[in-house]
Amino acid sequence: MTRHTRILMSVIYWAFVIYLFVPLALMVTMGFKDSKFIGFPIRAWTVDWYAAVLQDTQVMSVFGYSMAIAIATTLLSLIIGTWMAAFLGPNKFRGKAILFALACLPAVIPGIISAIALRIFARLIELEPGMLAVILGHTVHNVPFVALVVMARLSTQPKSHIEAARDLGADSIVAFFRVTLPYLKPALVGAGIFCMLLSFDDFVRAFFLGGYQPTLPVLIFAKLRSGMSPEINAISTIVLIMTAILGLWAERSMRRLNKGSPQ
Amino acid sequence: MTFWGALLQNGTYQAVSGALFKTQRRQFVILASLPLFWIVFANLGPIVEMFWIGFLDSYPPKVGYEPQFTLANWAAFFQDRVFIVPFFRTLAFSVIFTAITLLITYPVAYFLAKHVKRKNQLLFLLLLLIPFWVGEIVRTYAIMILLGNNGAVNLVLKSLGLIDRPIPFMYTGFSLGVGIIYLTALYMLLPLYSALEKIPNNYLEAAADLGAGAWTRFRRVTLPLSREGIASGCTLVFLISTGYYATPVLLGGPRSTVFAETIAGFFHVAGDQWPMGAAFSSIMLITTLAVTGLFLKLMGRGGKGMMR
Repeated sequence: MTRHTRILMSVIYWAFVIYLFVPLALMVTMGFKDSKFIGFPIRAWTVDWYAAVLQDTQVMSVFGYSMAIAIATTLLSLIIGTWMAAFLGPNKFRGKAILFALACLPAVIPGIISAIALRIFARLIELEPGMLAVILGHTVHNVPFVALVVMARLSTQPKSHIEAARDLGADSIVAFFRVTLPYLKPALVGAGIFCMLLSFDDFVRAFFLGGYQPTLPVLIFAKLRSGMSPEINAISTIVLIMTAILGLWAERSMRRLNKGSPQ
Repeated sequence: MTFWGALLQNGTYQAVSGALFKTQRRQFVILASLPLFWIVFANLGPIVEMFWIGFLDSYPPKVGYEPQFTLANWAAFFQDRVFIVPFFRTLAFSVIFTAITLLITYPVAYFLAKHVKRKNQLLFLLLLLIPFWVGEIVRTYAIMILLGNNGAVNLVLKSLGLIDRPIPFMYTGFSLGVGIIYLTALYMLLPLYSALEKIPNNYLEAAADLGAGAWTRFRRVTLPLSREGIASGCTLVFLISTGYYATPVLLGGPRSTVFAETIAGFFHVAGDQWPMGAAFSSIMLITTLAVTGLFLKLMGRGGKGMMR
């Protein structure tokens, strides 16, 4: 590879980084503008919008509501996803490839169709639009991600772990909880945080499955439809910071997982 | 004695556990129970129900009326330009956005996989991942601020003296494209990166020793060996970009209405529109899955011939 292409490549990389960061940086900056009018130039600065958001009881209650949905979704997704991985990962049986594809289906179906199908399905099982329906929708979407991460981790677990546990008198259940589960822990922490992010950030499912109480993305969407305001920037910035922290935490936990695996 | 030790000694537990796990077969059935239930109930149930509702003339059920079987909802799609135009626009947009995303992210992925030192790769990758974790709505809003009439791009162009009046980027196919590519770029980049990273450097060195120039090395070694990454990246971006609803509503305009908005319309207006929405969603699902299936087949079999 010549020097020129090398330099060109690094220019393209940094241009891409700038493309990813500039819109978000602008959005954060605009949250400090001392005017209701969104747009450049910015002549005066303030932190009033943040103070207003933190005192806004509606925003805070919506935040709590979204958080509760994210936590419930994460717990359910972890249980079902891990079980799915324990079934589809180590066992060999006929029709496994088809089952695996069906298990991954909700992760690849276009968002709007998944949301509509779930909305119709919720009517069938007489689940009113609202918190439970949103939790169901998010869990359906998240389970494949958990299953894939856990399956990858399971495949690196030495068989001798389980055999040793069995020799020492543990049955299947105890061996799972005492040996396999601790081995899976980093994968579960990483997958769990990504579930929280996916649920907390999701718009389309929350929009179609939610009742009168909006989740945070639905609230931001509703506010945006009635006009841009620096208040939205302040809310978005708070979400942005939270997301980044959670994401980095998940990444760290997954990274440790790769290091510790005996391969 | 620990909790687990006590549990194993407990007579009731022993009886239950012994009965549950007496044979390999029984253990397998228990392991299969929840996953099978979940796949049938949660993954297939909604799709099957959606298809079924598409064949009814009335839904949700009304008191004293028995819904009749009909094909009218499916036929309606082919009879009105109001439906067909957004449908094909969505497919065309998604194909174009996917192709542009591939062209933008390929060099970035190549740079990451082949030019960045291994111990720095994680750091360079994290830099791209952080914006990617932020949700759809927040990132869409960021693009609105970038492209608006008083947005950053227009401000820069104006201060450079290139324009007098702001260019109306917003509410067009262009702003929608910028938004969708912004949202989906990493779904392309990550598979590309992991495919490129697996290509051993000595393949390229061997090709160079045999007299292959940079372009030939790229065309005959790198590109064919990264085919899997290209296939899964394109599939992901295509499927995901057809499914956005909020982004086209916020960034698009009347001339860039996508099918997601058409479908959503049936579920917002009061009245008896669910069956049509269900039928239209089914048509879109079948089409997108067929397109990706065809694409993967081409990449898998014909791809070898195409690229060598």
